[in-house]
Amino acid sequence: MSKNPKEEGYNFELRMRGFQYMVLAIFILLGLRFYVLQVARHEDYKARAENNRIRDIPILAPRGAILDRNGVVLVDNHPAFNVVVFPEDVASKEETINTLVENLGVDRKELTDELNDKVRPGSQPILVKQNALPSDRAWIAAHELEHPEIKVDQQPQRIYKYGNLASHVLGYIGEISPKQLEYSRYKDAGYKSGDIIGQGGIEAVYDEILRGQNGRRRVIVDSRGRPVAELEKIEPIKGQDIVTTLDFDLQNLAENLFTSKNETGALVALNPQNGEILAMVSVPSFDPNVFARNVVSTENRKEVRAIVNNPAHPLFNKATQSIYPTGSTWKIMMATAALEEGVITPKSSRIVCGGGLQLGNRFLNDSGGNHGSPDIHAAIVHSCDGYFYRLGLKMGVDMIHDWVSRFGMGQKTGIDLPSEQKGIIPSREWKKRVNPRDPVWKDFDTAIASIGQGSVAVPPIQLIRAEAGIVAGGKFYTPHLLKEARATQVEDVKYYDNQPTELMLSPVTVGIIDYAMWGVVNEGGTAGGVGFPRELNVGGKTGTAQVIAREKVRTKEHKDHSWFIGFAPMHTDQKAEIGVVAITENGGWGASASGPKVKMIQAEYFSKKLGRPILPELVAFNAQFQAKPEPAPAGARVMVNADRKRQPVRQ
Amino acid sequence: MVEINQRNLRDVDWLLLLAPVALTVFGCIGIESTAPGPELKKQIIALVIGLAVAIVVMFTDYRKVIMNVAPFFYGITNVLLVLVLFFGKEVNGNRNWLHVGVSVQPSELAKIATILMLARFMARQRGELTLKDIGIMTAIVLPPIILIQRGGDTGTMLTFGAILASFYFLGGMRKLMLVAGMAVMVVGLVTAFPHLKPYQQERVKVIFDPASANPKGYGYQTIQSVIAVGSGGVVGKGIGQGTQGRLGFLPFAWTDFIGAVVAEEMGFLGILLMMVLYLLLIWRLISIALGARDRAGALMVMGFVALITFHILSNLGMVIGIMPIMGIPLPLMSSGGTAVISMFLGVGLALSVRMRRFVN
Repeated sequence: MSKNPKEEGYNFELRMRGFQYMVLAIFILLGLRFYVLQVARHEDYKARAENNRIRDIPILAPRGAILDRNGVVLVDNHPAFNVVVFPEDVASKEETINTLVENLGVDRKELTDELNDKVRPGSQPILVKQNALPSDRAWIAAHELEHPEIKVDQQPQRIYKYGNLASHVLGYIGEISPKQLEYSRYKDAGYKSGDIIGQGGIEAVYDEILRGQNGRRRVIVDSRGRPVAELEKIEPIKGQDIVTTLDFDLQNLAENLFTSKNETGALVALNPQNGEILAMVSVPSFDPNVFARNVVSTENRKEVRAIVNNPAHPLFNKATQSIYPTGSTWKIMMATAALEEGVITPKSSRIVCGGGLQLGNRFLNDSGGNHGSPDIHAAIVHSCDGYFYRLGLKMGVDMIHDWVSRFGMGQKTGIDLPSEQKGIIPSREWKKRVNPRDPVWKDFDTAIASIGQGSVAVPPIQLIRAEAGIVAGGKFYTPHLLKEARATQVEDVKYYDNQPTELMLSPVTVGIIDYAMWGVVNEGGTAGGVGFPRELNVGGKTGTAQVIAREKVRTKEHKDHSWFIGFAPMHTDQKAEIGVVAITENGGWGASASGPKVKMIQAEYFSKKLGRPILPELVAFNAQFQAKPEPAPAGARVMVNADRKRQPVRQ
Repeated sequence: MVEINQRNLRDVDWLLLLAPVALTVFGCIGIESTAPGPELKKQIIALVIGLAVAIVVMFTDYRKVIMNVAPFFYGITNVLLVLVLFFGKEVNGNRNWLHVGVSVQPSELAKIATILMLARFMARQRGELTLKDIGIMTAIVLPPIILIQRGGDTGTMLTFGAILASFYFLGGMRKLMLVAGMAVMVVGLVTAFPHLKPYQQERVKVIFDPASANPKGYGYQTIQSVIAVGSGGVVGKGIGQGTQGRLGFLPFAWTDFIGAVVAEEMGFLGILLMMVLYLLLIWRLISIALGARDRAGALMVMGFVALITFHILSNLGMVIGIMPIMGIPLPLMSSGGTAVISMFLGVGLALSVRMRRFVN
């Protein structure tokens, strides 16, 4: 080799040496980087490699079933094949969306929204189609390679076996909303985005009891998300079954009583001795199955919208969330208070009726005519407004307010249903607040409040709790729907713990009230024409809640609401077992629309109890409206024995 | 041309022959762990052919190869590159495979042919490079660069650029021009960046900002490779135990990302062993170049060193996330027959230089 640097003009050997050092430098650089990754940051990357390959696939726990008090299954689950999309495996959102829209009929907009939801964790599957057809499943299996993000998952699906039946009590389920996730109730209990929770009724109130514990499969997956091995499997634990206080037959009958006549309103039947609700109806109702399907499909979203946007508000539970003037049913509380305060006494209770009351330039009419000077018994039996105007004025608004508050008016009853309304009761403060132009409480206000109009508006549940408490001699039980949450392998049985609020009421007062209510039905009182079977000894009170002033009534929407509240048996040596309150919206006067409903419910209750028909009318009606469970979707196996069998209830 | 005698045999640099064999075997372990089908068998066949080629070439006089064979070799490889454009098979977006019973990658052969042609030209050149010299050298490299660019293989194109740059440096380009050239290169890369295809841009971006790269996008491979390397730790997960490679998180683990497989399964120690073997190979080559009898032989061997080094830097740099993905294989280790045989061809030529260092 020529080694003459001068001749070459540059030093070839030096350049080769330089090249050598450059190579060395490159290797040192590479080596250092390998050191950093493999030694210094090893733990971090080790964890990331594990995250890559280990995936926890949740196994949803079936929610507990919901049963009636006799073991009739009202809500259950059946296994459904669902099509789900795992957002973290989506390579191209657009392609995934197009594929699902074209091949599985998924709603484009809904799916796009779901996929762009930033709150949802990537590992949480999106349910895009429920009850997948065999052809859907075959399509997904065939396209597993191109679309590893689309999978078929067998999940329990909620099924409300009788559709609309007791929908307001049972509630419905749905995905937890971002807003709900912020509530401490959900946040602290470990709920996460994408969870399906109860969104109304018992489903919501007892969600923790019903939901159970999800299991999981921990699997090793390859880069396409396909499980290649299972590391561990934790079986889910089903939620506790809830036995409600509802009686299927009473519930079903109550709903049919409204729907058969195309009427709207609410009805509550309960046991005054313990607050157990036997039936609770709000009409119109809805089919919770629509929400349970919760599919990203156009039809389902349309069904959901039809319920949510219905001007009749079918989701609203009128028994607890709608407030109405009580009308004359209010007089029971007025009479009880007046007797307890000594404003009137058992011996001296006569007050002039006068067919109404002249107050300044206004005449308050007695809708029942002139009743002379009745005593308290006759005043209740004939629902004498004139009597109660004057009685109310004697008592004064403060005394009225004080007593109805003691009966729980204007307060939540504490029923185990969400979003209960408090309602409005007469008080000076109330008038000041809502009527700043005329803030002073006047005799006129007291007089109309005394017959349950004007400043009175409460939900039906409050009314029946209060008057059931009076009938029960001053024991006010919280109306409730949970009878028992059945034990599972991890949870003990739970019962509803009901301690009554007690009010010292004189037995004489209670006796006078009971007898008067009995008279309303059985002595040719305002409900004399309803035709209650004498043997049941029903006692009750009619009520007519004015929607607008009577002389202006022209259309059905302005017709009065019809109230009836009745208890049975109302007998000196028996305790009342069943109290029923019914309000028929725009049903006209008290006895006409709601009286027969209460009669039928009570007749059904005692027919069942005594094991013999009591009312021919009821037998005919029931024969006409037989409830049948909705058939489970084809191929589905029902998870709980759901036959309408009477199973003994463990006490 | 081929001459075998006692003295020749004594002069064989056995270490230089052993290191590439060891590296190829090392690579085979990674291929076995991750490759589907017959890749391992093909690689072993290539190793045997490569060894045979090296031994034959070793006993051949490299001067005759450079002077007489190089132009034909260069011509043939360029023709093959043209054929690839028309009849080539597209693999992963790059058209650089030719199917003639077996798949060959003419661009790998073209690298060696170009080195030979550059050495041939510079055998006669003396002193600092003139502009004319630079022009001729560039002209030699341009045809394969253009042909490969047409095929869309940016990585291989850059390899030719690196070879050319090395020859500029070793051949005696003036220091000022070297500095100017580097400046031009930097400016060129920066101005070229916005004109790259989006996927290429993303592959560059992920180097500088891996955290904000789309893990599902073109940064995916880099991220997964770095995870594979890092999760290997000091001793690795064990041969055949890598999760990143075996479960498919590392795409094409047996070709471009074989280094990540080694890092994952054999850990930092495996990587050190691999780097020592490469350094051994390169050190032997440089010492041959330094002791070469003539300038052509020295330049040829140094060109080969430049080729190997650039491949290692690009490939391992990509594996550890400091270089963008360009599809440059790891010499001798990545699955690919033509590349392995080309490497052994280079080793054979270097051995030939060594055996003839004292012959006049």
